[in-house]
Amino acid sequence: MFGRLLKIDLTTGSISAEAIPPEYIRSFIGAASLGARLLWDDLDPARDPLDPASPLLFITGPLTGTAGPATGRFVICGRSPQTGWWGESNIGGFVGPELRQAGWDALWVTGRAAAPVYLWVHNDCAELRPADHLWGRADPYQAAALIRAETGEPRARVAAIGLAGENIVPFAGILSDHGRLAARTGMGALMGSKHLKAVAVRGTGRIETARHEVYRALRVQANKRLLEQNMTSVMRETGTSGGAEYLHYLGDMPVKYWTQSAWDGAEKISGAEMASTILTGTTACQGCVIACGREVSVPSGPHATPGAVKGPEYETIASFGSQLMVDDLPAITALGNLCDRLGMDSISAGNTIALAYLLYERGALTVQDSGGLELRWGDPSPAFVLLEQMAARRGLGALLAQGSRALAAHYGDADLAVQVNGLDVAMHDPRAFTGQALPYLVSPRGACHNQSDFFSVELGGTLEEIGIPLTDRRASAGKAAFVARHQHWRTLCNSLVICFFAVLDPREVAGLLAAATGEDRSVDDLLLAGERAWNLKRLYNLRLGWKPSGEKLPKLLLQPLDDGGQMGAVPDVETLLGEYYAASGWERASGRPTPATLRRLGLDGLA
Amino acid sequence: MSIPFPSDAWIKAIMEDLNASEAYQKAAANWEGDFFFVIEPGGTLETTVILYMDLWHGKCRAAFAVDGSVPKPAFKLSGPVETWKKVMTGKLDPIQAMMTGRLRLTGNMAMVMKNVRAAKELVEACTRIPTVFPL
Repeated sequence: MFGRLLKIDLTTGSISAEAIPPEYIRSFIGAASLGARLLWDDLDPARDPLDPASPLLFITGPLTGTAGPATGRFVICGRSPQTGWWGESNIGGFVGPELRQAGWDALWVTGRAAAPVYLWVHNDCAELRPADHLWGRADPYQAAALIRAETGEPRARVAAIGLAGENIVPFAGILSDHGRLAARTGMGALMGSKHLKAVAVRGTGRIETARHEVYRALRVQANKRLLEQNMTSVMRETGTSGGAEYLHYLGDMPVKYWTQSAWDGAEKISGAEMASTILTGTTACQGCVIACGREVSVPSGPHATPGAVKGPEYETIASFGSQLMVDDLPAITALGNLCDRLGMDSISAGNTIALAYLLYERGALTVQDSGGLELRWGDPSPAFVLLEQMAARRGLGALLAQGSRALAAHYGDADLAVQVNGLDVAMHDPRAFTGQALPYLVSPRGACHNQSDFFSVELGGTLEEIGIPLTDRRASAGKAAFVARHQHWRTLCNSLVICFFAVLDPREVAGLLAAATGEDRSVDDLLLAGERAWNLKRLYNLRLGWKPSGEKLPKLLLQPLDDGGQMGAVPDVETLLGEYYAASGWERASGRPTPATLRRLGLDGLA
Repeated sequence: MSIPFPSDAWIKAIMEDLNASEAYQKAAANWEGDFFFVIEPGGTLETTVILYMDLWHGKCRAAFAVDGSVPKPAFKLSGPVETWKKVMTGKLDPIQAMMTGRLRLTGNMAMVMKNVRAAKELVEACTRIPTVFPL
């Protein structure tokens, strides 16, 4: 039965088991949505995100670890130290499945340890162990190796922070073995503030599904269908950056910190180029047939690797490649791996460094400010130094570690930072796919593409089964209702947890969930659960002071670029938002869901 | 005069157009690989038709409607004639059609994803040929 939660108080060292209320699970299903419901009960708007009492929640979904189609994922959530709003980060690898195999569905961590510790969960046993020897000394990979050695469990799965998390860099992430990062919204900083270096898990049990044989048949069928899809072939053969040249062609991949569209370097850094040059293998999250992870090897040159290392995915390719105009794939690989080892979100770190390059070009940031670094487009060398400085909070990096918004404000032009509500915009330009502007504007975690990747709908990945058709990628009118529906669908995916790269029929997903839980629910009912959680996250932020006036695009994203695939398009924010609020049943002035909306979703008792 | 699609005459017209196109030659300079275009029944097209093209470094070396056995090509792109019409008339982006499975592709994905512009130019050639579709 899904719903076993382990509570860990790092201040007192107490550890206890609890059952998540079944009515919460019925209404919110699991993972990010269920996490929102649990964190809602605890929310104290006056409490700082980094206050020891602020919870950090590791939470799985009912499909996590079931070997369903791309279901090896879980979610880490809490109040974001980066944005101050709802924080949520979805992560693959093996930790989530291992946690469920150990018999736990969630970890609720509060308090602050007097000295660094790591949590060791071994089936029913859980204990806190000293981590002084890891703190400040071991990157997440090294920490995982040392923990496996000292627990005597070579098959333990580990999620750990790096130096950035220890130093509470607001966009620090949490790296799991296998190179998967819970990158966005600074959950690594929250973990670091608690002096929690790592969570290590070993589980030897089975993850039960209610209708085992039915589930098995459905997952085999779903995985077989995934393997037949072109999209899976693209992901498997060329990784998440396989589409980089196409996305660049359409103007989606940002260049030169969002100030340019056309660039002749895209073909040198794409997943296809990687596949024909440095790729040596692929990796997959637990049970995933897509295997989008890259393993690369650079035999010689300034960025030679000591054997096979993680290859960069699309967001990292753009963050350290096109954004800095670096067309050197080995250099991007090295920057991505450095960023991982330091434990930072490559989107926020890359955006912030690219902004520093832009400020340098414009003469605002000087060589004196940078400690002698010349931040020239196309040169990756300063980025290596800046990443190290950011994690250590020294030199110019101390300023950059505060994020792009603080950096832009420091140089007198806060709106120059390409962020919304404190989160740096992901590497999909809303001038190429105007529908993507809405997820950036209204997402509860800021400018995020993981609450709705609507650009993929506008690329042709429609969901006709739930009424989401192809829309004109350059138009703004008439698409907001589809974006809202897509957000509800993706919120559901983030509850189960199913990776966005698995292209599934919603009816197939409903069948899988029914077989896993033993409860038959229609697609419409599941979409309603997604909408309920979407609105709850909205309410969470409203309690923290969220205002519609903050839902605006930065000025660089409102400047048309006609040198590439965007062809001068710019999202019409007022049209998008006006239609979106109407479609969502939200009040335009206050940003609140209307009383009728809250009643329809069964949230009237909470608001 | 319009040429019927899919037919031997049509694919040969495309070959001629491609070999005269500087834009295609530039965009496909690195392309190596021959194709089966598999057009599945729909409208008045009652049987599957396979068109063959040998594309090599910006040139089309051979093109014909397959009648009998030929060696297996490097790439095969298949789909219903309705979808082909949308692509050939510029109403559906060819990469979009491929990525979303409207056209099914077998072959080296990396090669395809590195040659987005070549695919676009190929479709441009199709739109230049006066065509009559069986729909």
